[in-house]
Amino acid sequence: MHQLDGRTKVLTVLGVFGLALCFSDPFYLLGVFGCVMSGLAMSRAGANVRKMWMLTVLLFAYSVALWPFFVQGVTPFPLLHSFGVTWEGVRVGMGMGLRLLIMLWGGIWLLSTTTIEELAQAFQQLGLPSRAGFVFSLAFRWVGMLLGAGVGVVQAQRSRGLDVSTGGILQRIRKYVPLVVPLIGHALRQTNLLAMSLESKGFHPSATRHFYSTGKLMTPDYAVMSVMLILVVVSVWLRWQGVGTLDMRF
Amino acid sequence: MPLPQADRDSRRWWADLIAVWRDTRQIVLTAQIAAIYAAILIPFKAGIPIVPGFVELRPANAIPIVASLLFGPAAAWGAGIGNIIGDCFGTLGPASVLGFFGNFFFGYLPYVLWGHMGWLSSGQPPLGKSWRQMMEYGVVCVIASAACAGVIAWGVEWLGLLPFVILAPAIFFNNVVMGMLLGPPLLGFLYPRVQRWRLRYEDIRESDSSNVHPSRPLQSHESMVSEVTNDYLSRAIVDCHGLSFQYAAGSQPVLRNVSFSLASGELVVLLGRSGSGKSTICYACNGLIPHMIPGTFSGMLRVEGKSTVDDPVWRQAGRVGLVFQDFDTQLVATTVEGELLHPLEYRDPPLSSDEVRRRVVHALSQIGLADCAHRDPMTMSGGQRQRLVMASVLVQEPALLVLDEPGSDLDPAGRAQLREVLRNLQKEGIAVLMTEHDDGYLAQADRVLVLDQGEIAWEGKPEALLRHPQLMRDCGLRPLALTECFEEWGVEPLPISVEEAWTQAEALNLRLYPPSAVLDDTLRLGNIPERSPTMALPLIHVEGVSFQYEDQVVLDEVSFTIQPGDFLALLGQNGSGKSTLARLLNGLLTPTHGRIVVDGMDTRTTSMNELAKRVGLVFQNPDHQIFADTVWEEVAFSAKNMGCSKDEIAVRVQESLAAVGLPFEGSRDLDPFSLRKGERQRIAVASVLATRPAVLIVDEPTTGLDPDETDRMMAMIRQLNQQGHTIVMITHSMRLVAAYARRCLLMHSGRMIAEGTPREIFADAALIRAASLEIPAISRFSQRWGHTLLTVEEVKASLMPGPP
Repeated sequence: MHQLDGRTKVLTVLGVFGLALCFSDPFYLLGVFGCVMSGLAMSRAGANVRKMWMLTVLLFAYSVALWPFFVQGVTPFPLLHSFGVTWEGVRVGMGMGLRLLIMLWGGIWLLSTTTIEELAQAFQQLGLPSRAGFVFSLAFRWVGMLLGAGVGVVQAQRSRGLDVSTGGILQRIRKYVPLVVPLIGHALRQTNLLAMSLESKGFHPSATRHFYSTGKLMTPDYAVMSVMLILVVVSVWLRWQGVGTLDMRF
Repeated sequence: MPLPQADRDSRRWWADLIAVWRDTRQIVLTAQIAAIYAAILIPFKAGIPIVPGFVELRPANAIPIVASLLFGPAAAWGAGIGNIIGDCFGTLGPASVLGFFGNFFFGYLPYVLWGHMGWLSSGQPPLGKSWRQMMEYGVVCVIASAACAGVIAWGVEWLGLLPFVILAPAIFFNNVVMGMLLGPPLLGFLYPRVQRWRLRYEDIRESDSSNVHPSRPLQSHESMVSEVTNDYLSRAIVDCHGLSFQYAAGSQPVLRNVSFSLASGELVVLLGRSGSGKSTICYACNGLIPHMIPGTFSGMLRVEGKSTVDDPVWRQAGRVGLVFQDFDTQLVATTVEGELLHPLEYRDPPLSSDEVRRRVVHALSQIGLADCAHRDPMTMSGGQRQRLVMASVLVQEPALLVLDEPGSDLDPAGRAQLREVLRNLQKEGIAVLMTEHDDGYLAQADRVLVLDQGEIAWEGKPEALLRHPQLMRDCGLRPLALTECFEEWGVEPLPISVEEAWTQAEALNLRLYPPSAVLDDTLRLGNIPERSPTMALPLIHVEGVSFQYEDQVVLDEVSFTIQPGDFLALLGQNGSGKSTLARLLNGLLTPTHGRIVVDGMDTRTTSMNELAKRVGLVFQNPDHQIFADTVWEEVAFSAKNMGCSKDEIAVRVQESLAAVGLPFEGSRDLDPFSLRKGERQRIAVASVLATRPAVLIVDEPTTGLDPDETDRMMAMIRQLNQQGHTIVMITHSMRLVAAYARRCLLMHSGRMIAEGTPREIFADAALIRAASLEIPAISRFSQRWGHTLLTVEEVKASLMPGPP
């Protein structure tokens, strides 16, 4: 999976998003979800999955809990029917939750198998302006630095007695000022330096970026893209036929 | 100065949005806004909500509005991209596209609306100083929040993910609450600073037409020049005549009629105190001055025969490579190879793949990182990262490499590696111009230029400078300790190495007879007060402490005690565990094994606030804590957090400012960021002192300071110690330990390998080598006579004629 070209990975993930949008029935979406999970297993992305599983389960739970209140149905759901909850609504909630999970895990698969440089390069090869790709990769690089600096800022302010876990909600929000301000100040003070450094190394905003490490699409890339294309075409046809979709009336 | 209205209007809307991508500074700003937004967003994406269960309520959402009012259209792109990056940490999907557009509007509308809402507009800068400004801000905030919420929620419902009625109010509420609560204080803090850094959108637009003044006729060079070697001029890579420069915001020239040259393969070191103009010369070498740094420029500076004023900066990358002091900021890629490829990717015409490969391999071998091509730069040591930045400019194969204070953030091992790299570059014929505060690299230099108040005060061979300690002092430099020891003996020439000093001592028949005042440390540290019975009890007890981050053991079974009134140095190279130990001492971290008892309280069970009253920690970078508008507020912050009354806070602020030698008068109006780094470091110390801690931990307090500033900082720390504060100083400077510490702990790879007085520790050469450190020359000199002396004063007091 890691050896695939960046373009293949981006297009595959877009294909997965397309598959998720084709269906609303949780049974069909479960099949797509299984494919995504297989991809994740083959990519050895366990570390990233472990980091994010709690958040995604939470989002799934939100979806299952919220949608039934907005979708009409005919089969009463035990205990909650007085609030308008029906089995059809719960089914829609599960479908939407699975759709959300597919999209999130698809994104995690992409980011687990692709470096930021590969991603920027793939975006440019797929038509995104090179400067946008550069800003994306530069910002990504800076996020790591800022999170590191952020740890220092939090420690420095905690050492001076700042405790953001106490007080009312407004107080708590205000207590973030001593954390946010040094972080932003730290970043902004680097603006001129980084701009000067980039131009000193030969960067010029109007220049065309030429990637030297451009990979070629190989047989596995064509195979993966072909399979994904077939899946998308079949799914669109099924959707056209009304298969795998639920009747969602609000 | 704001732009004329007509000009502003002519550049509005799409033209402004597109212009962002044609200016390097705006591109960087876009990336930074995106990074700031994402960095503050990510912890909340990962589920650290202010209100449990409601992850949409997050402080990051004030950033697009604030950035928009400061930086204009760059904020729109930055907010959109930042949101996508935030999504990459957990919620990337088709809705991210909608998030991009929603945040784009959130970051664009405030800039478009401010000042253009008819009677609602205040006609003032975006600050909450009057009710009209506040009202305008509120309206802007509501409109931008509504647009953002509407776009995202509509799209998310269209995708069938969440109902509009659930998501839209959640986003709108969050944006408005955060924008209204955090926006005004952030703007209040940032606006004046951004204005000073000339980063407001108006300033960036204004500086598009940079302030380049044509060269004036050559003026005579009046500086005191000794030993000018004219043969260099015949093969000069750099030729500078009558260079003068005054920053646009400055009141006087920072360079005055500077002339010098550099030949191929020559290493020239620029020395001088802070503010003497060293960095300005560096920036002029590749045209940053005057192309990107506005000001009044005169004189002539040519590199390889071409004027630095004629070509834009990026076109000079093949002639001049410039490495700035802060090396981390210059890294842009996530792999070493990517870092080197990036500069080459913008060459026009592009190089062949073979040529690119050759250059990357060559540059990595030049700086000794040949085996690290696929590593992530952030997993490398500071020294390696700095050499990587050097490689990223060497890959353009410049004839001149300019290094601005390359050694200031490095430990002794990093400095030794840098010296090795410089030797390699000299062999390859690359001219190197580097600035420094001290003599660390003079042994390799071919020439030295000493700058004083913008003029070249001295030029010549490094050896000649080192043998003139008074000249060095006059120029704000620190003379070699060995040289100072022999100054009063009328020796000619003065020794500059241990071997020369031994020879001179033999020639003069001098021996070391240390008096008791030396051996009992009275001369070095002054009279040590008798310990009362309570002072004999340890203030801090560290018992078998280990600490690990995930699987990495950072500290391993460390045990020691700290007595009241002690001055303890934590000594060791970078990564030896010193800073982690400091954070354990004040309770920021708790031990994985073992325990730390501070003033009778176990740090594992005592609140951070309680510990902060006893152990104050001053971080290495003062800018990681300074946030207030005035010095007074900054110093008062910790006392306020301790719950002190208003009167008590005022007393503590006055007392703390006095302790660090800063004036109380005017502190209520003085912006901390208008001060130099040394003074900001003092504010950081004062702020911690306001908690009246018994123990003060200072982490690398002299990094980046020149000799005068270092002496002032250390004098202040010594005074605090004499006033009764227990000092723990983290450093890898052997000179500071020798001069100031009563005791030191030697750390290596997370273990404490020695504990004792500096004299005891420095006496063991094998131990010091094991910790990758170096014994000061003065101590090595004295060890010939079986003593380990630590300071110039000690040697001077001990050096006497021997028996005939």
